[in-house]
Amino acid sequence: MKYFFLIVSFLLLTACTKQSSYNGKEFSYNPSGKLVPSKSGKGRKGDNYIYAPGIRFPIESAPAYLNSQLYGVGGYLGPKGSLCNKKNYSYPWSDNYCEKRRYSMPLCSGGHGHQGVDIRTATCEKRKYYAVAVEKGVITSIGSYVVKLRGKSGRTYRYLHLDSRSLKVRTGQKVRRGQRIGLVSNNMGKTPTSIHLHFDMKQTIKVGNRSKSVFVPPYSSLVDAYKRLLDGHP
Amino acid sequence: MRLIFFTLFTLTFLNAGGGVLDVDWSSIDNSQQKPSAPYPSVLRDGIKDVHLPVYLSASYAYDKNMMVVAGENFYSVSFKLDGASVVFEGDKTFQESVAPTNPEFQKIVKQTPPVEYVESEGMMIAEFNRHGVNYAITVECDEPKTDGRCTEQSFVQKLYRHLVMVGGRR
Repeated sequence: MKYFFLIVSFLLLTACTKQSSYNGKEFSYNPSGKLVPSKSGKGRKGDNYIYAPGIRFPIESAPAYLNSQLYGVGGYLGPKGSLCNKKNYSYPWSDNYCEKRRYSMPLCSGGHGHQGVDIRTATCEKRKYYAVAVEKGVITSIGSYVVKLRGKSGRTYRYLHLDSRSLKVRTGQKVRRGQRIGLVSNNMGKTPTSIHLHFDMKQTIKVGNRSKSVFVPPYSSLVDAYKRLLDGHP
Repeated sequence: MRLIFFTLFTLTFLNAGGGVLDVDWSSIDNSQQKPSAPYPSVLRDGIKDVHLPVYLSASYAYDKNMMVVAGENFYSVSFKLDGASVVFEGDKTFQESVAPTNPEFQKIVKQTPPVEYVESEGMMIAEFNRHGVNYAITVECDEPKTDGRCTEQSFVQKLYRHLVMVGGRR
């Protein structure tokens, strides 16, 4: 009986932590809401809802690696080492929506957390890989390190840390899905960050006769979009 | 258990059918609609087709260097400041709807203050709902870690306090 419970417990644990692979391809990813390392916060586990169905993956080409900047190797709260460490540039993906932050986030446990996700490009090189429009829409504003796209759906997407000099869009420009926006970099105004794209999605949710605009979980939408990119049908 | 709960929650309560929110025009303060001088043409022309109340801070409403991006259901008006930028936005669309009985969103909506000041990736944002529509003021700084406009709430609070309605059609 004791062994039976041990085996059942092992199987359950394995099922909960198993990385999903895709069609036998190299790509693998942790479940949505599973933050790595676990000390990086409490993710929104089990919310596999695709909030932005059909979007294009925001980086033009694969591979790309969705994982924590802060808690990754060389990150401010991560293990010591180079930001270019190969561990940062490998699968599986790990959700980092709701990672510990002081930002107000009603959909995260405790009401605070990371409002989007961080994505690394194929290699640790800035100004090499393009971020692209996830859906048809219009560029509504460009700041020193933020480009904002309002999609036809009404959803707003923020692209952070693109290289300002490489931007291919201007405020007010209409863009098609997949159109180049700018090169992923470490731009954060005059205080650079690590090389990555911070990507988030904000939408309005109607609750009865009231409504609220919130940053929604992008992870499942991005897993879906990335699979299509790998399949050659982005 | 949590996995089952969230799966059931998302499947049961979220409805991906979006739409347009109703604007409560009766709650508009009409006295605000009379400017002391005509607004610059970039603003008048830019928002002429916007079907929701358009708000800007009074001190920016006459700045001819503003950039206006707008459609029937939204607007975004941005300004370059010295070492920063400010964006005023309004949007009357929604992308999801949930049942009023949904416990998570019921709690979220109930706990939302009239205006919320939110830090966000080095930016400072004021979010609020007026006339049934969602608005935001975003301040982004060239030096986000040291510029008081992005580390403190006072600047964005001031922008919020001085909002005036500069247009919008029924």
